[in-house]
Amino acid sequence: MRLPTLALTLFLATPAAADDITVFAAASLKTALDQIATEFQATTGHTVTLSFAASNTLAQQILQGAPADIFLSASPEWMDLLAEKNLIQPASRIPLLGNTLVLIAHDPNATPVALPTLNPATLLGADGKLAMAMTASVPAGIYGKQALTSLGLWPKFEPHIAQTDNVRAALRLVAIGEAPAGIVYASDARAEPGVTIIATFPADTHDPIIYPAALIGPSPKPAAAAFLTALTQAPAAQVFTDQGFTVLAQ
Amino acid sequence: MSDWLSPDEWQAVALSLQVSFWATLLSLPLGILTAHTLARRNFPGKQLLNGLVHLPLILPPVVTGYLLLLTFGRQGPIGSALYDWLGITLAFKWTGAALAAAIMAFPLMVRAIRLAIEAVDPKLEAAASTLGASRLWVFSTVTLPLILPGIIAGSILAFAKAMGEFGATITFVSNIPGQTQTLPSAIYAFLQVPGGESQAARLVLIAIAIAMTALLLSEWISRAVARRIAGQ
Repeated sequence: MRLPTLALTLFLATPAAADDITVFAAASLKTALDQIATEFQATTGHTVTLSFAASNTLAQQILQGAPADIFLSASPEWMDLLAEKNLIQPASRIPLLGNTLVLIAHDPNATPVALPTLNPATLLGADGKLAMAMTASVPAGIYGKQALTSLGLWPKFEPHIAQTDNVRAALRLVAIGEAPAGIVYASDARAEPGVTIIATFPADTHDPIIYPAALIGPSPKPAAAAFLTALTQAPAAQVFTDQGFTVLAQ
Repeated sequence: MSDWLSPDEWQAVALSLQVSFWATLLSLPLGILTAHTLARRNFPGKQLLNGLVHLPLILPPVVTGYLLLLTFGRQGPIGSALYDWLGITLAFKWTGAALAAAIMAFPLMVRAIRLAIEAVDPKLEAAASTLGASRLWVFSTVTLPLILPGIIAGSILAFAKAMGEFGATITFVSNIPGQTQTLPSAIYAFLQVPGGESQAARLVLIAIAIAMTALLLSEWISRAVARRIAGQ
């Protein structure tokens, strides 16, 4: 296994020397991408620098000229913004991943709940908070608000929401028990042993959750294109699936 | 004026003023005590205390916020005790924002006051003591009036820092409009929305105006006090 891989690597890597690429990715992709990048570096010799933050933050950094080679956004909206400004390679844009939205609880013995009848008192106790990413700007928060709204739960829960600057911060609040419940992606819940999924929001309660990916800049590095391709292929696709994502681009 | 800013924006401004006011006021006695201890006493562990006081200045604010959450959160050792004994919750409340702001501003306050105490001639205090004044009496009648400009400068600096505190605040008490959404959190939230720049810009102008007013006020008061001391 090792030797053929090495031979193939040498063969492929010879024309384009080892390169450094920078990937800007939505915070929810951290666990999966850390693993994929490590494998990619080992097989290709390229260096992959991963920068994680909320998609909106990353998009604005790219607008301001941040040196990203690839952008993986948690919502098409922010990729559209970069496309409007001609900052991405339009042909390279793919809908890479799908995800689902779940309700999580800190209590390891929490039992599944019926979403339509949910109420703050039973879910959160006397003055607990529902942890969510910022509901006006961060994709996970926007989808979460849509889901609560279409289930008629938004007015009841709005006063009890603790908004965080990215979805992983909301996950953390629930994991350490400071918020009894939260709304995050299924992939986040899967990555954190300290939380229990107690409900999955039906796909029709919010806009489709799509993570688009694209190359950034007028002349993308070959290594960046190789990494983007690698994301859609076997070992990487398996990592994404294991993390609870659906791989849309094969 | 009220149609210039939306109610949410006013709320953020008012909340920031409230948080910073209480953060400054409540940390002042401890700030003076700490500054006096660091300036005038020698004891084992003094450098440790000095380091501890300065820690919030050195740590990334997000780390300070997270440590606050782990300590003062409902599950934390101090937070759970406060809740069980006194029914007080700090996490996700404006009081928690005030605590975060106070801790972040504390080193600045202590530094300013400490410098003022070190500038006081110990002979003046000694003279008062030889005339029979108790330690507390010496401090309140000799030291305190002399260090007043330092206390004012330290307080205003702490107030300004508290007004601008963001990282520890959003980590410890999140970003809840009306409860914990301070001026910086509101600016941050607006900047995350496409087209939110103009709202953010208005709040930025207010933040600058408040900070400048506070700074000018502190300069003015310090000078007035210094003049009065020199005149005596």
